[in-house]
Amino acid sequence: MDRIERLVKTWIATGKKEEVDATVSELLDGDGALLPVIKALGEFLVSEDEEQRRKGVEFLSLVLEQYPQEKLNRQSVKTLVTFFRGKLDDTETIIPALQGLVSLAAALNLTSQDAVDIVQSVFQHVKMKALVQAQRFKVFTIIDTLIARQRDALKGMGKPFVASYINLADGEKDPRNLMLAFAIARVLLIEFDVSSHVEDIFNITFCYFPITFRPPPGDPYGITSEDLKRNLRQCLTASPAFGPFAVPLFMEKLIAGSPTTKRDTLQTLQAALPVYGASVARTHARKLWNAVKLEIFQPTDEETEGEALKVTQVLIQTIYSSRDATPEASSDDIEGLAKDACEECIRILKEPEKSQAKPATKVLCAFMSTTPSVSRYTLAQAVPHFIRLFLDPDEASNRGPTLRLLADVIIAARDSTLVDADQGGVALSPYKDEVLGVFTVGLKAATTRKYALEGLKGLVTTDGLLSGEELGFVVHNVNEVLSDDGDEDEDVSEAILDLFAAISVITPKHISETTLPLLFAFLPDSAPQRNADAERLKYWRTLAFLKRLCVQQDLFELLVAQLLTKLDLLCVPRPTNEAADATFLEPTAAYAHSVLRTLADTLAVKVGKGDADVPKYIDRLLPRLYHLHILSSLAGSQGYEVATDARLVTVSSQIVTLVVQVQLTQRQETFAGSLFAAFFNGDAKRIAEGQPLLPDDKTFSPFSADASSFQRTLTLLFTSALVAFRKEIAIPVPDESAFLDTLLRWSIDGAATPPQREAVYLAVASVVNKRPDGLSSFLSDKLPAFWSAQAADASIFAEKRRKVISAWAQITRALLMRGHASASVFVDKLFELFEDADVNWDAARALGGLVATDKVLTKRNHAVIRMLYAQKFFNSVLPRIVEGAKSAGNPARQNAYLVALTSLIKSMPKSAYTHELPTLMPLLLRGLDLPDADIRANVIDTFLAAADSTSESKENAVISEHAASLVSTMLKNAMVKEMPSARLRVAALRYLAILPALVRYDVLHPQKATVIRELSKVLDDPKKSVRKEAVEARTNWFKFTGGTK
Amino acid sequence: MSSEAYNPNPTVFVATKTKTSSAFAKRNSIWLTDSEIDLPEDEDEENESGDVEEIDQDEVFDLIRSISDPEHRSMSLEQLAVVSAPQITFHDAPSSDGSPSRASRLTVEFTPTVPHCGMSTFIGLSIRVRLLRSLPNRFKVEIRVKPGSHQSENALNKQLNDKERVAAALENPALLDVLEQCLAGPTE
Repeated sequence: MDRIERLVKTWIATGKKEEVDATVSELLDGDGALLPVIKALGEFLVSEDEEQRRKGVEFLSLVLEQYPQEKLNRQSVKTLVTFFRGKLDDTETIIPALQGLVSLAAALNLTSQDAVDIVQSVFQHVKMKALVQAQRFKVFTIIDTLIARQRDALKGMGKPFVASYINLADGEKDPRNLMLAFAIARVLLIEFDVSSHVEDIFNITFCYFPITFRPPPGDPYGITSEDLKRNLRQCLTASPAFGPFAVPLFMEKLIAGSPTTKRDTLQTLQAALPVYGASVARTHARKLWNAVKLEIFQPTDEETEGEALKVTQVLIQTIYSSRDATPEASSDDIEGLAKDACEECIRILKEPEKSQAKPATKVLCAFMSTTPSVSRYTLAQAVPHFIRLFLDPDEASNRGPTLRLLADVIIAARDSTLVDADQGGVALSPYKDEVLGVFTVGLKAATTRKYALEGLKGLVTTDGLLSGEELGFVVHNVNEVLSDDGDEDEDVSEAILDLFAAISVITPKHISETTLPLLFAFLPDSAPQRNADAERLKYWRTLAFLKRLCVQQDLFELLVAQLLTKLDLLCVPRPTNEAADATFLEPTAAYAHSVLRTLADTLAVKVGKGDADVPKYIDRLLPRLYHLHILSSLAGSQGYEVATDARLVTVSSQIVTLVVQVQLTQRQETFAGSLFAAFFNGDAKRIAEGQPLLPDDKTFSPFSADASSFQRTLTLLFTSALVAFRKEIAIPVPDESAFLDTLLRWSIDGAATPPQREAVYLAVASVVNKRPDGLSSFLSDKLPAFWSAQAADASIFAEKRRKVISAWAQITRALLMRGHASASVFVDKLFELFEDADVNWDAARALGGLVATDKVLTKRNHAVIRMLYAQKFFNSVLPRIVEGAKSAGNPARQNAYLVALTSLIKSMPKSAYTHELPTLMPLLLRGLDLPDADIRANVIDTFLAAADSTSESKENAVISEHAASLVSTMLKNAMVKEMPSARLRVAALRYLAILPALVRYDVLHPQKATVIRELSKVLDDPKKSVRKEAVEARTNWFKFTGGTK
Repeated sequence: MSSEAYNPNPTVFVATKTKTSSAFAKRNSIWLTDSEIDLPEDEDEENESGDVEEIDQDEVFDLIRSISDPEHRSMSLEQLAVVSAPQITFHDAPSSDGSPSRASRLTVEFTPTVPHCGMSTFIGLSIRVRLLRSLPNRFKVEIRVKPGSHQSENALNKQLNDKERVAAALENPALLDVLEQCLAGPTE
């Protein structure tokens, strides 16, 4: 017995795949012919025993499946085709025979005659209803493969092929098979002669519309409802012949269907109408429009409405584009649907204030992007209609809605997708003057202003519509709105800014020449009185406007010049004999502050955008500011000077940072020279270069021990520059370590105010972060000594120790950020203080805040930042903190760990701790019992942040587990009687509001009555903001039911 | 719900918001709000101050303006001018001890878009429920249609202020479902 025979016998007995593999390789080792297998199978193939016969055929088909195509010669294919065909009429062998034919259908040596023979046998013998899905799939695969590879042969079979296939495919239900069936039907419709079977094919395909199939969970075949929809849609849109059958049915589905069906139908119609053609579209135009109209005028949802509008467009295009193409048709020949629908909409638009006006306008707007003639016609109907309405005295009260709708039409005309090739001009041109006219009139009244502005923007942004002169006219008219009382609402301000932004893209000329001078003139030279609220509001508005308008470089230059002049006027030092009184001067300072704020905010926007003109302001702006402040600080030593007000200096210091950070190294270097000369050598000449001389009878030395409080305030203007230096900039002092040490001691021992102190800590930290290498004596000698003497020593006043802790924390952060080796030593020192009852919470807060984001040590300020340093720190200290908080014993110490945890976790993204939540939750809940409103609010904020990420699954075990205690704690913290902090009350209520979304009803249900009852008390909270949250929370609990949602 | 529309094409009104000084500065401050300088503590300070902010007309209006119209789910009662701030009035209760009294009675009036509007009861009910859920218990709320704006004005007013009938209506799950949808606000 030869080897193959043995393999066959074994397989018949075992059915294992190895034998098939072995047989195939055995065959390939030989001469490659299949003959030996057939010989070996001989007795089985003709066996009387059904089982043996089936197995025989199956083995052959399995071998064939694995057998390389190219080795099958013509003769073998022919033999095998005949063989398998012969096995189709035997119920025992049909299944393996189909498998064999699947392989053969793709064979290279298959002739067209073979193909015809195969399909004929299939049609003749296969009863689809008797087969399971997998077998039917094989049938479809055979036909699909043959259609792909032997299309001409099958076409040659003529109509009988189509008829038999329809018979075969009828009644199929399985999605996998349908994917193939739809694809086959599409080819039949496009390439085969289906003239006498259109309706039959239609019947076996349209019956699946709309697809409602939902893949079962964990579906291994990966066929989605979308796949089926797509294939079916391609099939239904394959032939114009479907049109007469399909359109009425589509309309039926549209009217009766669910929102999903409606959308599917509308989308299919969009694809189908162009295929079905103008004649079908025209026949059903009226009915289609009526059906689609419903979805526009009474939309189920926005998406469906959008699809319906698209169908309308497609319908109009289908009907009219052929007409447009024929040259003899006059362009105004618009008889039919477009005319009727347009007239219908115009009729509705006789009442522009009614709710139906909006959808009617949407239809007209949709017409703008259909065909040139329809678009022209629509515009010719709509625009004059709105203009008539606007000018009609009886309709005066409806001018607002009229202009709003007209603006929509203008915008649609602007955005029209049509390229009006033959016209060459802008579609709106004929109406330009009239439209511009009504919009400018509309600007005059408060009720129409917003829409007039929108319309004007539409006109301005239509390419090639308005001339430069007309743009000037628009700007002029809008300027008049500005010069009016300026009591415009927010939307109008936004709309004006929008319009101006659009115009300055085209040309900034009109705005810089007319609008800006006007706005600058609005700014008074001296501050309005304290009680002059209206004037103050006006300059705020004006400045807010300027801030938005003057980002462009030419406009910004104007802004800087103008505002600096104002500042000079406001900040001029008082003569010494005049009593400079803070209360009297406060309005002036407040005004000057607003002016500076405007400069700073505009600069910040420019820096954010990376504008190239920012660096030059180190020469144009900074000397002026330094001069202004230094001059005032030298003026007197008592009373009050506007430019020494801490708030003003703070804003100026931000401007300094913004301008210095964008300088190149070299420029920073020279600037550092002038800066140190001014603040440490009493030489302010260079930093205020180009400005009038400063009085030389007084020295400017803000860091000296006897400096006036005015001068001390100005230290911010030093630190804010220092933090923006690049790491290459050496501090221009003999010994950097000694310098930092002096600075630090000044801040802690001197009379610095808290903001001044903080600024110095940050400045020191910034230098440490950028240049640690030259600071070894500072980091390893001076600082540790400083710590032992001032922070670790419990006999020092707690207040002073707190200052040291803050400074320490900033330096630690600077080291952590760059991954410096000594960072952990610094961190440990903070942990050590957790034992100390006086300052343990301060140390804990400082520790937790180490990696919180700050605005100073940033990339922009050239800080050295290691990737993921915060995560690394978090991962390293979290276990330590958790352990400390859990450890038995000293409760004060435990609490310190809790404090550290709450502030640490607040500064981390939720992804960093989500997986730790089961451990952290009990600790955080304990944090909620600490007697500190801020800490509690932090904890709740953490809960809120963590909730976002988990809200998708209701199986939130951690929260569910603690639900009851969470509810009662939150309720307690929400009561004004229990909790004076409004911030905390708000946080607690927010958490209560989201709980129903996080926890399953059956878990939370027992709390519902209590929550609703208790929250009714909170509805009477003295603070409006709290009541608002209470309403929200209570509503959510009312809606929280066991129902299926 | 009936398929026939009582007012298929109602007039739409537009609410405008005016920018006031509160957009620029805190109450009673002449200084522009400055996020760099104003620490969160300051805000807290203001919050923590004992000042009581009484519930006023605007706050009540805020509660009901966004309810959507049952017939036009994409529009709010405010847009259809069914409710407005001036139609909310407080009646100060006489206080026994002479201290400044706190308002405890208020009337909310609404205007159906058409006199035969069959949705009026439902609109009134939705206002009622929103206020029941959102105002403290001390308030006694009366809901009325604007005089002369509805053909069965008296019956409506009576129905809306009858506790038992309101309670009975809320027992109806189908009705409650639509009510929740309207209270959730316009669909768009």
